[in-house]
Amino acid sequence: MRTRLFFSEAFRSIQSNLSTAIAATLTVLIGMFLLGLFIALGTWVLSYTNDVKRQLIVNVYFCTDASCPNKKEASEGQIEAVRAQLTAMPEVKSVKFVSKEDALEIMRKRSPELVENLVSNPLPPSYQVIPNRGEDVRTIAQRLEPPPGGVEKVNYGEKEAGRVLQVAKVVGGIFVVGSVILIIASVLLIANTIRLSIFARRREVEVMKLVGATNWFVRGPFMLEGLVTGLVGSLLAVVLLLMSKEIALPAIIQRTDLTNDEVQALAFPLIALIMIGTSLVVGAIGSGITLRRFLKI
Amino acid sequence: MIVFEDVTKVYEPNITALEHVSLTIDKGEFVFLVGPSGSGKSTMMRLLLKELEPTSGRIIVGGRELARLKRSKVPMLRRNLGCVFQDFKLLPNRTAFENVAYALKVQGEPKRSIRTKVPEVLGLVGLSAKMSHMPDELSGGEQQRVSIARAFVNHPPLLICDEPTGNLDPDTSVGIMQLLYRINRTGTTVVMATHDREMVDKMRRRVIALENGVVMRDERRGGYG
Repeated sequence: MRTRLFFSEAFRSIQSNLSTAIAATLTVLIGMFLLGLFIALGTWVLSYTNDVKRQLIVNVYFCTDASCPNKKEASEGQIEAVRAQLTAMPEVKSVKFVSKEDALEIMRKRSPELVENLVSNPLPPSYQVIPNRGEDVRTIAQRLEPPPGGVEKVNYGEKEAGRVLQVAKVVGGIFVVGSVILIIASVLLIANTIRLSIFARRREVEVMKLVGATNWFVRGPFMLEGLVTGLVGSLLAVVLLLMSKEIALPAIIQRTDLTNDEVQALAFPLIALIMIGTSLVVGAIGSGITLRRFLKI
Repeated sequence: MIVFEDVTKVYEPNITALEHVSLTIDKGEFVFLVGPSGSGKSTMMRLLLKELEPTSGRIIVGGRELARLKRSKVPMLRRNLGCVFQDFKLLPNRTAFENVAYALKVQGEPKRSIRTKVPEVLGLVGLSAKMSHMPDELSGGEQQRVSIARAFVNHPPLLICDEPTGNLDPDTSVGIMQLLYRINRTGTTVVMATHDREMVDKMRRRVIALENGVVMRDERRGGYG
């Protein structure tokens, strides 16, 4: 009974303040669209940098009869000892052995003309060490310092790794700061619009209180109105975002080579859920809180 | 019905609106509250509605001490008090019917009884023909009638009127006064703040005169003074 009354009161107030209601809905639409766009873009960039980080590995090359100063090939015992040392490190995710033959095979695939005229296989056996986190390559390499017996050198692409990690850090930072600012901005924008619409009707609230309406009786319809505004605005924003995803995104992707399946933005339904949830909470709570000072009669 | 016991109200920082006011208003009385602007009439009204709290002293309305009344019970108090204001205080986007109905809706009155009570009270104030008019389609006198209908629809034991004729021409004021008089005759206590000298002199009812927050005069069958 009471809920029905709240609904009818909320809808009548939307009807009689249609322009304010539309303005508030559009504000929610813009705020939530930007938020959704930023989350999608940001998570995609984060996923991209993570993917780049995943490509950071440590290569441990063993001695061959030609490479090390003592001209001695690494023994199987030495190779096993290094594996044990590596797998004991907490930063190491997995260790893959690449034999001399494997290395040659890889080389053959990459640049066949180089391999063609070889009389013997000069390539060393090696370990490909995949770290848990891209940032750990340096630590792993440092732990193998000085090189244990049979190891010729440890390589983790110092320069590239450093640059990739730095870029990833900056990008991640920008995303976090940006989304916090955007969330605050859209929340404030929406709250402010609600404030204005309530402020325009503070006399109405006063009258309601003077004829004996309880705080909740006044607040209920207002909050419901905020809820409806938030819901409609964010649903429109979701539709808009979906449209830009379906129409604009393929056009952009075609022009780039960013078609790695590993790189994904946050799933669309989840983004939509965040957008709708945020606007519902802001809409209802914002109205409720703003009303407080007008209810003190 | 109403008891003021040594009530003082000081607005921050140090404006004294009421000073040691003590008075008793019995059930069924019709009381004029007169005095120049700033004499404390409106402050008394707002104290009765518990819009304000007294700085000191006790106020008892309908047997209940207002200071002891919890904030959450204030709506209950107001439902038992009809209020009529100089500026009508109607909800602008609702018809006359809906404005009166709102006072019933806030206390959870069922639809069916709203549909019988509202036309009844609007008939009493002589607005049967204009129930579906918006406030801005009504004259000042008609708007005040709607607001009286809203105040009276619950048949409250006490009606508080803050200069109800302040915005109306003399002829319309007479109509409003007659209406309040009729309401008073049903047993409702009416307290009315006013500047309307002629009206007070004509009605010959109890007059409480305030000046600078002090009761100067309290006469059974007084004039404006």
